[in-house]
Amino acid sequence: MAVEVSKEKYRSQVREVVLGATKEEGGTRSHTVKVGGETALPFLHFEGEMPNRPVVAMEVWDIVPEEWPASLKSYFEDVYDDAGAWAKKCVEQYGADLIAIRFKSADPDIKDASAEDCIATLKKVLGSVGVPLIVYGCGKSDKDNSIIGPIAEAAEGENLLLGVAEQDNYKSVTSAAMAHKHSIIAQSPIDINIAKQLNILISEMSTPLLDRIIIDPTVAALGYGLEYSYSIMERARFGSLQGDRMLAMPTIANVGHEVWSKKEASISADDEPGWGDQAERSMAWEATTAMALIQGGMDILVMRNPRAVELIKKSIDDLMQDNS
Amino acid sequence: MNRKVVFLPEEVSLEVLPGTPLLRAAALAGIEVKSSCGGKGSCSRCLVKVEEGKAIVKSTGKLSGEEQEQGYVLSCQALVGDQDLRVNIPISSRLEEHRILFNSPDNVDGEEEAYGAYDGYPLCTRFQLSLEPPSIDDNTSDLTRLMMALRREMGKSSPETEIKINTAALRGLAKALRERNWNLSVVMTYFPGNVEVITAAAGQNEKPLYGLAIDIGTTTVAIYLVDLLNGKTVLHHGSFNRQSRYGDDIISRIIYASEDEKGLNELHDSVIGTINEIIGQILQQAGINEEEILQVVTAGNTTMTHLFLGVPPDFIRLEPYIPTFSSTPAVKAKDLGLRVHPEAWVHSFPQVASYLGGDIVSGILYADLAENDEIVLFVDIGTNGEIVLGNKDWMVGCACSAGPSFEGGGITFGMRAMSGAIERVVVDPVSLEVQVKTVNNVKPLGICGSGLIDCLSALKTAGIIDRSGKFQSDLKSARLRSGEEGLEYVLVWADDSGVEKDIFLTEGDLKNLIMAKGAVYAAIRTLLRTLELDESVISKVIIAGGFGNYLHIQDAIRIGLLPDLEYEKFEFIGNSSLKGAKLGLLSRKALNKARKIGNMITYIELSVGTIFMDEYVSALFLPHTDITLFPSVESVENRN
Repeated sequence: MAVEVSKEKYRSQVREVVLGATKEEGGTRSHTVKVGGETALPFLHFEGEMPNRPVVAMEVWDIVPEEWPASLKSYFEDVYDDAGAWAKKCVEQYGADLIAIRFKSADPDIKDASAEDCIATLKKVLGSVGVPLIVYGCGKSDKDNSIIGPIAEAAEGENLLLGVAEQDNYKSVTSAAMAHKHSIIAQSPIDINIAKQLNILISEMSTPLLDRIIIDPTVAALGYGLEYSYSIMERARFGSLQGDRMLAMPTIANVGHEVWSKKEASISADDEPGWGDQAERSMAWEATTAMALIQGGMDILVMRNPRAVELIKKSIDDLMQDNS
Repeated sequence: MNRKVVFLPEEVSLEVLPGTPLLRAAALAGIEVKSSCGGKGSCSRCLVKVEEGKAIVKSTGKLSGEEQEQGYVLSCQALVGDQDLRVNIPISSRLEEHRILFNSPDNVDGEEEAYGAYDGYPLCTRFQLSLEPPSIDDNTSDLTRLMMALRREMGKSSPETEIKINTAALRGLAKALRERNWNLSVVMTYFPGNVEVITAAAGQNEKPLYGLAIDIGTTTVAIYLVDLLNGKTVLHHGSFNRQSRYGDDIISRIIYASEDEKGLNELHDSVIGTINEIIGQILQQAGINEEEILQVVTAGNTTMTHLFLGVPPDFIRLEPYIPTFSSTPAVKAKDLGLRVHPEAWVHSFPQVASYLGGDIVSGILYADLAENDEIVLFVDIGTNGEIVLGNKDWMVGCACSAGPSFEGGGITFGMRAMSGAIERVVVDPVSLEVQVKTVNNVKPLGICGSGLIDCLSALKTAGIIDRSGKFQSDLKSARLRSGEEGLEYVLVWADDSGVEKDIFLTEGDLKNLIMAKGAVYAAIRTLLRTLELDESVISKVIIAGGFGNYLHIQDAIRIGLLPDLEYEKFEFIGNSSLKGAKLGLLSRKALNKARKIGNMITYIELSVGTIFMDEYVSALFLPHTDITLFPSVESVENRN
């Protein structure tokens, strides 16, 4: 007698968000990337639809990332002086689905670069690759608030994914996305209520933006509370599937940023012989963190190490095989 | 050696030991100074000005340099040193200058209706007796003669129990019987296990028989003088609970009672003192003497009841939160030192749990929840939000710590619903101009609970704050400005206010309010979820508490304080604790029912389990993170 697999039916789904815009849509991207749209838990193809595969964005900085360990830095030695070339390498050689530009140079304590400098870099990257772009500021909100408007304006129509709106600081980036037709990252501190509240606050400024929000639930690296991030994602996904439209947004995770700032990623084997080879270990740390996150339903992974990216993309291929 | 302290403007002087805080010295001099934080130097409400001499200042708290130069000190942080002092206590720092309002217009009809059900079972009544004088053939004792007459008089309602007489009445009996030719008026009290002759006086007595219903609140004490023979409230009075000097909230007082050697006695004495002072006013106004008050019933929260009876409240505060008693036997007034007839019995309403006390049981009794077929939600909003849900067959209750915001605590210009408190706020969404209405229509002094609820709703509707309670910093209005604690919104300009300062709300105030409303709503949701019930089962919502003259239901829903039900389902009953105490005072049946209610309510401890915490964090938004719970509130989802 055949075993009847019991199936869960959900009444709702995650919103589908389109990133980037082609020429016909008012942008210059060679193609767009769709994320979200799931009607079941991750990869349970027998229970529902997962119309879009999780995607991987690779980070491109506008300065030399001195804080990266040598084993990671070495991949991009030849392109640090040219963000366009760096982006092109990520896409063409390492298969990045998206490029995430980080305008580190705008940091008042680093170069205090102007909005115009950032726009020049952005234009270079837009010219060198056809994939949709994610834009992060320097991480200091006052400065980011002052450059996000001009950047959004300069790339009007491109449907960039603009980061980041937070509960205490969502207006500048929301206005920029609203006025110049971009999408927006809504970041909350591992707190499902704030995630939802922030979506409501953003949608109160602009209802159409509801379909252009990507939630950054804030993740932790493996060993740093990953399971907590996972349980928040799980709750959000259950909420989405059960009809909570204010929580039903696709998600993004800053995997590389979390992993590479931890000592496990950078300490050499000489210092910690028991931990094994640093290059291999750090790559695996990023890949394992990312792996857990896609199992939790993450839609967009922002990563750094090309080998980790390769491993994850292979895993996504496998997981997307029909199991119904 | 003692130093002399003179308090101004009264010129009251006293001598105290060096090292005595000015706050305590003022209390010894009979001047009640505000002390919300209980003398910890954090609330700045006990501001006084040292005009002559120098005090030892332990801490200056939040005082500005300018204030310090002018001689202002925090009276809890300033100690008498080696100099005599002259200290001015400004009106704004005094408790007694503000008399409380009786917070709802007295609904006498409603009270009599509520009383009707208990008619015929008095707790205390008077019999006019005419006894056969003894003779040589009929030589039973005076007492036996009295008892026989009483049993005859009481007829069917005569209880099986033995009738007692107290020593004082017994001592006067022989004389009383003979003074007016064996005519006697006897005051009796009945309650389970006790039928007693309280007084036996010579002759007929046609004067009213008085009793007191007392609501012992953490902040205020309110008393009804009731004519026990016709059930009418003769007059009422209220005042601040003098325990306030040991802190505004219950926890500070429990700590004081348990950690200070004389703490328990001081707290007990100060609540008895408060009550006696109010009784004094009542006696004077009614033109009666204290011996004429022969029955007392009190309702208070668990801690207040403990302190009233002088029972240590220490373990109420500590996990697993166990009170010393839930139901307590009555005690004699003379044991408590109340200014009524010394032999009068004092009953206290029973408690459900440490944080669900006799005040709530009393409210439930008055609201008649235990007779209702349909499910009723009872909400008492004060520093603690107490919620009871149920009908005649079952009841569950819980208490959440809402913080004192609705009573004006923790809000920069917060105050209780007294004369001058802003109780209604209207904000024009275009000009962002503000109109306020105050209690008694005088110049505004601050803002009370109902005004705060209005304000939160009006600010949101006008787009001045967003759903998380943050000011929209890009607004063009002179009223929105940057203050010491961040952004603030001016409700009343100094020229129009009664405190000669701008009256404003800060983001911190709004945050406290949102936490308070979130806690109450989360507690309601927790009860419903624990029973797996939906809000739609609630047939009526009864709201009690000291909100001022009214509570604007629509605004309370709009900010997410109360569940989104039809407005007709809400009923505001004001100080139900006092009204319930009056029922108990008039009827032993009501008092027994209160005892049953106390036993019937299942207490849900919110700190156990995760439902409350989940509900609480999602309620910290206007109106709620889950907007579907508030369908009537215009929401983005409806528009979407």
